[in-house]
Amino acid sequence: MAEYTLQAEPPLAGAEMEIAGVRLWAPADLALVSLALPLGGEDAALMAIRAAYGAGLPEIGRSVVADDGTRLVRLSADLAFALFTHATPDAEHVVADRLNGAVYTTDQTDVWVALALSGPNTRRALERICPIDLHRQVFAVDHAARTVMEHLGVLILRTGEDDYLLLSASSSAKSFLHAVEVSLTNVNQT
Amino acid sequence: MSQVNRIKGGLIDPATEITFTFNGKAMQGHPGDTLASALLANGQRLVGRSFKYHRPRGIFTAGSEEPNALVELRKGATQEPNTRATVTELFDGLEARSQNHRGSLEFDLMAVTDLLSPFLSAGFYYKTFMWPRAFWEKLYEPAIRASAGLGRLSMEEDPDRYDKGYLHCDLLVIGAGPAGLMAARTAARAGARVILADEDFVMGGRLNAETLEVDGKPGSDWAVGVVAELAAMANVRLMPRSTVYGAYDHGVYGVLERCTDHLATSGGKPRQVLWRVYARHAVLAAGATERPVAFGNNDRPGVMLAGAVRAYANRWGVAPGRRVAVFTNNDDGWRTAADLVAKGIEVPAVIDTRDAPAVCDVPGARHVRGAAVMDTRGRKGLRQITLTDGQMIDADCLAVSGGWNPNLHLTCHQRGRPEWRDDLAAFVPGRELPPGMVVAGAANGAMTLAAALREGCAVAETLGYADKSDLPRAEDEPRDCAPVWHVPQSRARAWLDLQNDVTVKDVKQAHQEGFRAVEHLKRYTTLGMATDQGKTANIPALAIMAECTGRTIPETGTTIFRPPYTPVPIGALAGRARGRAFRPYRLTPSHRWAEAHGATFVEVGNWLRAQWFARDGEQGWRDSVDREVLMTRGSVGICDVTTLGKIDIQGRDAGEFLNRVYCNGFATLAVGKVRYGLMLREDGIAYDDGTTARMGENHYVMTTTTANAVTVFRRLEFARQCLWPDLDVHLISTTDGWAQFAVAGPNARKLLRKVVDTEHDLSNEAFPFMGCGEVTVCGGMPARLFRISFSGELAYEVAVPARFGNAMMGVLMEAGREFDAVPYGTEALGVMRIEKGHAAGNELNGQTTAHNLGMGRMVSRKKDCIGNVLSQRPEMLRDDAVKLVGLRPVDRATGLISGSHFIGQGDAATMENDQGWMSSVAYSPSLEHSIGLGFLKRGDARMGEILRAVSPVHGREMEVEVVSAHFIDPDGERLRG
Repeated sequence: MAEYTLQAEPPLAGAEMEIAGVRLWAPADLALVSLALPLGGEDAALMAIRAAYGAGLPEIGRSVVADDGTRLVRLSADLAFALFTHATPDAEHVVADRLNGAVYTTDQTDVWVALALSGPNTRRALERICPIDLHRQVFAVDHAARTVMEHLGVLILRTGEDDYLLLSASSSAKSFLHAVEVSLTNVNQT
Repeated sequence: MSQVNRIKGGLIDPATEITFTFNGKAMQGHPGDTLASALLANGQRLVGRSFKYHRPRGIFTAGSEEPNALVELRKGATQEPNTRATVTELFDGLEARSQNHRGSLEFDLMAVTDLLSPFLSAGFYYKTFMWPRAFWEKLYEPAIRASAGLGRLSMEEDPDRYDKGYLHCDLLVIGAGPAGLMAARTAARAGARVILADEDFVMGGRLNAETLEVDGKPGSDWAVGVVAELAAMANVRLMPRSTVYGAYDHGVYGVLERCTDHLATSGGKPRQVLWRVYARHAVLAAGATERPVAFGNNDRPGVMLAGAVRAYANRWGVAPGRRVAVFTNNDDGWRTAADLVAKGIEVPAVIDTRDAPAVCDVPGARHVRGAAVMDTRGRKGLRQITLTDGQMIDADCLAVSGGWNPNLHLTCHQRGRPEWRDDLAAFVPGRELPPGMVVAGAANGAMTLAAALREGCAVAETLGYADKSDLPRAEDEPRDCAPVWHVPQSRARAWLDLQNDVTVKDVKQAHQEGFRAVEHLKRYTTLGMATDQGKTANIPALAIMAECTGRTIPETGTTIFRPPYTPVPIGALAGRARGRAFRPYRLTPSHRWAEAHGATFVEVGNWLRAQWFARDGEQGWRDSVDREVLMTRGSVGICDVTTLGKIDIQGRDAGEFLNRVYCNGFATLAVGKVRYGLMLREDGIAYDDGTTARMGENHYVMTTTTANAVTVFRRLEFARQCLWPDLDVHLISTTDGWAQFAVAGPNARKLLRKVVDTEHDLSNEAFPFMGCGEVTVCGGMPARLFRISFSGELAYEVAVPARFGNAMMGVLMEAGREFDAVPYGTEALGVMRIEKGHAAGNELNGQTTAHNLGMGRMVSRKKDCIGNVLSQRPEMLRDDAVKLVGLRPVDRATGLISGSHFIGQGDAATMENDQGWMSSVAYSPSLEHSIGLGFLKRGDARMGEILRAVSPVHGREMEVEVVSAHFIDPDGERLRG
């Protein structure tokens, strides 16, 4: 038995509220692992991903939900993220084992924090901070994009008609939460 | 009844009465009123004093072009000066005050300046008050500023909230008049995503001010119907109270939405929102602005633009006067006369500069052909007008129309130049419009209702938004105009720019004195400045300049129209970026622990880092920092160094990639080893440094400086994608992912042995200096361990997943309790790195090379790397180049000054004798005196030499001795121990 133990303290743990009919919360135990496709080994990597998840890597700017609930997000030609629920700090090993060395993996779980928004006013609130067009004709369900909100780099995913997942750097989590919360508050009162 | 000038009709709600005050006097109005319409309804013609001469001024227009009726609204912290009464929506409890007078509005003591007007003509301050010279800044300018001007700020912090936002659309329609409504309806019916923005609080534009019919019903009713249809469409966003103030690159438009200005209090809601609208196309349908004719004393309260007079009568049910004379050079002025008579208002005369038959029947009005108004009477309000034929006519209001100018401002925001149309006697949009913009309606010179409706529909169809609906029926009303800019027979001052008190004579004087270009005219006379930007004044003024120069008006040209179209409050530009929310901040993983343990924080970029940890009894920061340094060097200290950039590098060619981005070799770095690396810019200047650890065969972890974490990543990504796409290399930032702690001091290994799981051997043999590896801590927690040292002590950096960082700091401190472990902040970190002679940002300042830093031999000649070739330029390798050295004061009790320059003994402190500079200084508690690092010419060969360190900024100098930069443990025995 080790003399010391470490307790996890995610930056936005427990954040949950409802403003303007929008539910805002920080999903618990969301793990992120980056998947980089080796140069010249792309086909093998894609096959390995399909074999592991039962879903192929989508086109750039899209995401797909695999059979086990893992969301695969394609960010560029050779980079994707795997998002899945996993509490322990070994997410990278879990993914790497499944892909059997066909893909370079890096644990991104603690690099990011996530905020989920759900509700019919979500898009109106995000208009206050999100420069990209979130209209359903342009940014449909399962679309993903990297953008900037209030000076913070953000990866935004549309997970449902009125559901979005925002990911931003964990070190600026409080500013990130504040930006989203203020947007909801301002829309609520307008 | 207080509303003595209220008449029937209009788009107000007469059944509801609301109360407001003007200069403390209670008045009544109705919902739908503006402050201006309510003031006129209450018989308040005098509303302000002019900028320069403090002349009595009244309401001149009915829109955002208003030059005169500027008022202060509200009070206390929310007081807002220079608000145009003509666009201020009336609400119950509104408090308004006139501005720019000393004493009461009626008896302004500063009106004496009007008597001095012969001495205060255009540019007077350039020519007078020249002597004595020193008096200009101390006496003359303050006195002039105090006597002239506009409103007053509250000098309190604005308590209102503001926000910003982003909108996207296929079509942005600017202006909701007939052309704008048609364009929006056509495009919306075709399925386009449409935003319709209008500065007014009621959409409809001039339709609300006219009696013209569309489809057989009042134009305002037709507008209501179209607006209702648009409001019900999911693909349309209506934005009343929203001014499109600027057209920017790439189809971006700035829009100011006034959300709560029409309410008594904002109630915590954002008062205004500044929108950035991304539009594929835009239709500018901003209408036109009427212009005046300049004649003697044409600035008296009661002299108004004819279209505004008509608007007050038709839209707001207000008679601006009881006897309203009309002075026009065009057909449109006649409609004012006809509408007023239809409303029961007496029109004694229509004075038309044209010797032509009446345009329409105006019962009871004399038609004076081929004449003009040359003077007026009435001290604080118009009483009588004098015509050029000598007739004098009693009137308390004069409606003046000199024709209409298209509101083309936004077409010029990207340097488009307007073109002159003789038939309109006006500028219209030129051929070079902002990409994606088209213009319709009066803004495009289509000055009649039917033409505006047609154009609105046509431009939408041109953009590909076809709608099969029929055009609404409307007439093309007569719009002939014979330009008259001023009445030359006038002997009294004839005003052009009412906001800046610029007269016809001023323009002529500018011409006489050589300020003939319109841009010079503007600067010399102040024409077209301030809140209205000369919307009613510019064209008449440049027409007069054209007369003076003998050139045509288009040859004379206009000044450049720039954003904003109307004023945008600073608060709106700031948005929510105020106070703590001015910019995002980043917290280290152990921030909460540091807060709980007395840390003082310092901003390092966006990071908040612990600067030092004060203890009870310490008298100042130096006490804390000295203690942290001594206890670290004496036993062990812990510092959160998470802020250093971390880049995960993987790929078969990762080693080769590192070899190319660092100037020193990385090809031989073994797995489990760390190496210091220096990056150069392309020009050979030192760029950034750090360490890179080889964690596996194809896996490296690079650290960068905190300041360059983002730029280094960007640079590497550029190199990967663009310079060497043939390399199998993949990069991803992990800066925030790992909480990393420096554990430094002779007891560092002992401390870590209590935390790192026992299966990992930390002995010097198994885990030597510059070793690294993946370990576990606290019973299986994955971690990374690096044996590197910034302090010069036996030191490690241990990293755990960031979510465990706060707990890890606590564990390290708890485990270190038996060693008297201390947390240390950035100050102690800085002191120890100077003691050790490590370069940091002050030394890698964008001016220095590896040669300067004493690392010239690190630049490998066996391989190429970014900056390698240019770093070998002879000038950068000069023997007398500055070299990094250590400095200590000859008088050890003296504190060194960073930024001092080195001067030889006996030399004058001049640039010619400058031998280098002090880049970093600190008090070394280890050595008990001040120490410094600096760059000195041939410094490495001058050990022991005594120089003067001169700081002209501080007015001080001291003798310093040149020593090795490595003050502590120069042989590195401690860090290898």
